[in-house]
Amino acid sequence: MFRGDFRRALLALLLLAVTACTGGSADSARPSAASATPGEIVVASGRDVTGKNGIRQQLIDTWNRQQDEAGTGYHARLVELPGSADEQRSQLLGALQSGSARYDVVNLDVTWVPEFAEAGLIRPLADDAVDADVIPSVARTARWDDQVYAVPFNSDVGLLYYRRDYLAEVGRTDLGGDVTWQELRELVNSLDREEPGRYEEGWTTQLAAYEGRTVNAIEAFASATPDFALTGADGHYDGDVQQLTDGIAELRRRTDSSYTLDDAFGSEETASLGDFADGRTAFLRHWPYAYRTLHQTFTADQLGVAPLPGRAVLGGQNLAVTRSTQRYDGAAALIAFLTEADSQRCLLDAGFAATRTSVYATDVTCTNARVSTTPAPSGTGESADRMPRDRAGRPAYATDILLKALRQAVSRPRTPLYGAFTQTLTTELGPLFGEAPPTDSRLAERLDRALRKALPD
Amino acid sequence: MSRFDPRGHVNRALLVGVSDYDHTRPAEPDGVPGDLPGVRHNLDRLRDVLSGGGVFGADEITVARSPSLDDFSEELRRAAHEAEGLLLLYFAGHGAVPSAGNELFLQMRNARVVAGGWAVFPGAAQFTGVLTELAGSDVERIVVILDCCYAGNAARIFQDFADHHAVDRHKLLLLMSVQANRLIHAGDGTVPTPFTDELLHLAGRDGPLWFQDLCGALPGRMTAAGRTTTLGEPQEPQRAGDPHTDVLLAARGTPRPVPAPARPEDGANPTRARRRSVRERLALLTPRRTGLAPLLRPLADELRAAARWFRRGRPGLRAALSAVLVVAVSGLGWVLLGPDGDHACATPLELRVLTDPDLESTVRAATDAYLTSDANTTGHGCRRSGLTVYSAGSADAVDALREDTDAWQEPVAEDDNPQRDVGPQPDVWIPASTTDVTRVTGGRQGRVYAELERDDRPFVYSPVVLAVPRDLAGPLGERRDRPLSLLIDDLRRRDPDAEVRRPDPEFTTSALLATLGLYDGAGDPGEAERRLAPGAPAPKAADLLCALPDDADTDRTTAALAPEFLLKSGVGCRQAIRTPRLAAYPTDVPGLTPTFVRVRWKDADLDATARDDAVRRFHTWLTDGDGLTVFRDAGFRSAAGDRPLLDADHLGTGVLRDPGRAAGDTGRTDLDTALTRYRGASGPGRVLYLLDNSGSMAGLWEGASGGPGILKQSLGGLGDQDQYGVWTVSGTSAARHDVRLPFGHHRRADAERVLDPRRTTVRDAEADPRAALLAAFDDMAGRGADDDGPQLIVFLTDDEDNNRLTGGKRAEVLTRARQVKVPVVMVSLDSGACDRGRADADIAEASGGRCLDASDDLGAALHDEVARAGTGED
Repeated sequence: MFRGDFRRALLALLLLAVTACTGGSADSARPSAASATPGEIVVASGRDVTGKNGIRQQLIDTWNRQQDEAGTGYHARLVELPGSADEQRSQLLGALQSGSARYDVVNLDVTWVPEFAEAGLIRPLADDAVDADVIPSVARTARWDDQVYAVPFNSDVGLLYYRRDYLAEVGRTDLGGDVTWQELRELVNSLDREEPGRYEEGWTTQLAAYEGRTVNAIEAFASATPDFALTGADGHYDGDVQQLTDGIAELRRRTDSSYTLDDAFGSEETASLGDFADGRTAFLRHWPYAYRTLHQTFTADQLGVAPLPGRAVLGGQNLAVTRSTQRYDGAAALIAFLTEADSQRCLLDAGFAATRTSVYATDVTCTNARVSTTPAPSGTGESADRMPRDRAGRPAYATDILLKALRQAVSRPRTPLYGAFTQTLTTELGPLFGEAPPTDSRLAERLDRALRKALPD
Repeated sequence: MSRFDPRGHVNRALLVGVSDYDHTRPAEPDGVPGDLPGVRHNLDRLRDVLSGGGVFGADEITVARSPSLDDFSEELRRAAHEAEGLLLLYFAGHGAVPSAGNELFLQMRNARVVAGGWAVFPGAAQFTGVLTELAGSDVERIVVILDCCYAGNAARIFQDFADHHAVDRHKLLLLMSVQANRLIHAGDGTVPTPFTDELLHLAGRDGPLWFQDLCGALPGRMTAAGRTTTLGEPQEPQRAGDPHTDVLLAARGTPRPVPAPARPEDGANPTRARRRSVRERLALLTPRRTGLAPLLRPLADELRAAARWFRRGRPGLRAALSAVLVVAVSGLGWVLLGPDGDHACATPLELRVLTDPDLESTVRAATDAYLTSDANTTGHGCRRSGLTVYSAGSADAVDALREDTDAWQEPVAEDDNPQRDVGPQPDVWIPASTTDVTRVTGGRQGRVYAELERDDRPFVYSPVVLAVPRDLAGPLGERRDRPLSLLIDDLRRRDPDAEVRRPDPEFTTSALLATLGLYDGAGDPGEAERRLAPGAPAPKAADLLCALPDDADTDRTTAALAPEFLLKSGVGCRQAIRTPRLAAYPTDVPGLTPTFVRVRWKDADLDATARDDAVRRFHTWLTDGDGLTVFRDAGFRSAAGDRPLLDADHLGTGVLRDPGRAAGDTGRTDLDTALTRYRGASGPGRVLYLLDNSGSMAGLWEGASGGPGILKQSLGGLGDQDQYGVWTVSGTSAARHDVRLPFGHHRRADAERVLDPRRTTVRDAEADPRAALLAAFDDMAGRGADDDGPQLIVFLTDDEDNNRLTGGKRAEVLTRARQVKVPVVMVSLDSGACDRGRADADIAEASGGRCLDASDDLGAALHDEVARAGTGED
């Protein structure tokens, strides 16, 4: 192997030499010799609107203080991007491709990693940048083409929130850890008869024509077919009409209008959260951050959370070092700090889903930032934090529900053409929620054709 | 082999020969070396040979004799546009390369050579540009033949171009007279130049002449004739392109076949046929061709391995090495690499498209169609580019492009970050009016980090109309050729209670254009504004039209100022029964003139050529292709002539085919002035900020999304004339608030200092929002007596102490709010605070203010609310 690699490298160098003779632009292709240059490290990340006290900024401030003390000369600066994920992706991709802005570290949605890696916009990291403590399903999002390209910063997974007080009216208060869709439908049928509170319909979720529809579809598809996969390891389309037909049938069952709030078909995260908070449904499919938010409205007696029945989609964001950075060493060190167990505990306490098993299972504490974790941190007895916590100060559901859900979560298709994939899926599934929905098989055939076109071999 | 017989198709041959130059040395030191008389013979002979070849009709051959660069460009564009089967471009003349050797310039009649710098060859066509023009042509095959010095340098440029543009490589074939970096002899002027001379011999023979055969036969003839470069070494013609692609150039004396569509000869799926591996391509380095089998086989192996190795590398490296392979291989043998063997689609080039909020849905529909269109799909079925459409308030977009491109490219201050607050750095900007562009370019100050390159004219048009409820609309004659003030008078005459609403002039240009008409003739903008319905305006016209049916009375009596096209495509937002509206066309409100603007960021040159090409393709499709059908369906008009509706058969409700006299384009200063007058229309404002600093805010204090940070962002909405103060709210006995900044005029910097989270800190105490709000109402009630300037209370809180806002306490606050009538903007860091029945929602509603919670973009939304009360311009 060594010999082969060596010869190839030698040949490439020889060719580069030829290029130089003919006046090429090979300089830009060479790895930078300035990877250890001290100076400013620009971190680009989407705007955090969920009131987490600038937890990311706090962690970066702490790292900067450490660098000042150690005299390394590095200083990280956070550049916030728009709140919309589409706009974040557009700016990161457009800026890194063209050079219109300088970033050293980028915070990528897990679905973007293959695209940025394949485009050569981010650099491979050392294999041990993601160690065995990172939850395996989460760790897989960091890799592409057998290399580590990113480190999980915070994770995300679909969860089922429910109204304990509504269920009490039909004789249940707790769903336990492994409820099925069939049980949910039966519960909804009972609730329909009782109509507790402002109850209108069984559940709500995110079915508007955006990424939320893709997430819900993948959750249904993956639940319908064991080992479901739409793309192979190389990101090429690998699906078939049968898989899609089964998946569409499952999605149709879940979104049947006799169980689903009408507004769900036009809802994104915020609207569905609001409808559930208004009491219009007994169940809600949502992300972990809703745990903290919903506890501002509901008491622990009113609100329950369970793993989503069937499979749940894995979300989250990963940190990567850009190809264009002059400060690779500093950027990698910063990422290591932001993803170490201490920082992950800070993120968990602030309401994010942490990426490391040890944060859920051991007494790792948060010293890298200030996050209030106890019900009464000040002499006033006042706290914004009404989230139930376990004895170690973690959100009460973290170990039993969240970690379990993360471990079992399923990834959306991993392909460098994810943008085209999700746009196609979202568009093609539109008729399912329209006035005269086509049959499962007809829709599956159309979807299969469209996906083949969007992800050509 | 995919062979194409172009007979029976529309073909074009553009034969360009520059024999006579305007500027020659030594008379002019910056001229070209001299005239090339032999080239005249090239043109005559080649035209004769081709016109008798059965592929090109006489009228399909254009001979351009010593054209200027402009004339050449025009001819090239025309040929590329007209051809459908085969497009042949032949060039003979002087060729030149810059010192870096990475571009080839084809020198036209008016060429000069200016030493130093990049732009050293005025009057010359850049070969990359020529490729760009050709690649955009919708033809089956393109053949380029270059007979000039450095012709071989074109191979590398071609390969780089193909690598970066994901062009359909099997479409383009290139034949060059000499290897790279070599000068050639021009002959004695009495006969064609050496390379063309040999080419003519081969092309003039009877029988079919295929491109690859011609290329195969040329070297032998050149060698036999002893043709050499200026260095005395053999002159070796080069070719580039997919060696499996071929095209018939002439078929002298053979019958014309029955026209048939192009079909790859290997019968398989054409896409698959093109998907050949590097292995297969390199296998063409066969011993039979070169006689160097023992030498070449190991090299071919190494090349294959290297190809696999560097295919995993970054694209730039890949492109550079691909080009080197071309050079290396062509130096040894004669067969060039075609496209690389990996046809996995590359990441499409991402274009960031900024537009006006009123145009966003139409532009998005257009780009959705473009994404999957043929124009955006390569021959391998890959997308060429991805596009993301987003909008920003038009005043924000204009301001950011005019004054803040520095921070947009590199945001260093937390409160001045257009990347976060406006959006991605656009590659394309589609403002609602051409005047928006001149507002940017005419008003720029300081250093500029984004250059704008705009079209000369808009690509569509839509007048801004007063959409009047049908029952209140006048006869046809009163619906046009009248100024806006008369149209409003007419409306009021029919129903004294009728109201007029206009969206937010800060947010959309259509509302600002409407404001021009509204202020026209009115001495005082405040008086003009009072002709509109009170209350906060809808952000954009579609929101306004969409919301009107919410209240049947309002719907029946309200006229809306909106772009005409929305009467067709902006009224389907709800199933609600709505009052039909008829358009009245004011003569003093200029219409929307959406214009395509390319935005180039400083130093964003990593993919400059590819990005230019991607923008160009989208531009052509949008403004001169299928994109217009999307605008047609949305209800737009043509921007040309009398501005007819693009779809005159399917009119929106209440739309007139002939809208009568229209206002001309407005000047940039008019719009800027209108915006300034609008901001100051109701006089300077008064804003009282209440900031909850009770203990629970400790976790919500730091950073741009912390309490003080959010307030800080809104200060830009306040100007020198405005008055404001800041209270902190905490404590449940004695003082329930603390005056941090006394009410009055302030410099922004002073207020920012007060809002520094280390100066104004969280207290170890609970808060009493009821007491604080009642105190604020009392304070503000005493301030508005002497004028009617706008007032506002802003209360930022985490709602932790809303247990003091329940039952009778809440009722007390709501009652007082209704009495005082100072709008309260409740800004909650809690996500559900604006849900129905929550205290914040109730207080905002009772006071006529607005409720914002953590599910909103708090910084931007609060800024907008404060800006409406204040006169600030940021």
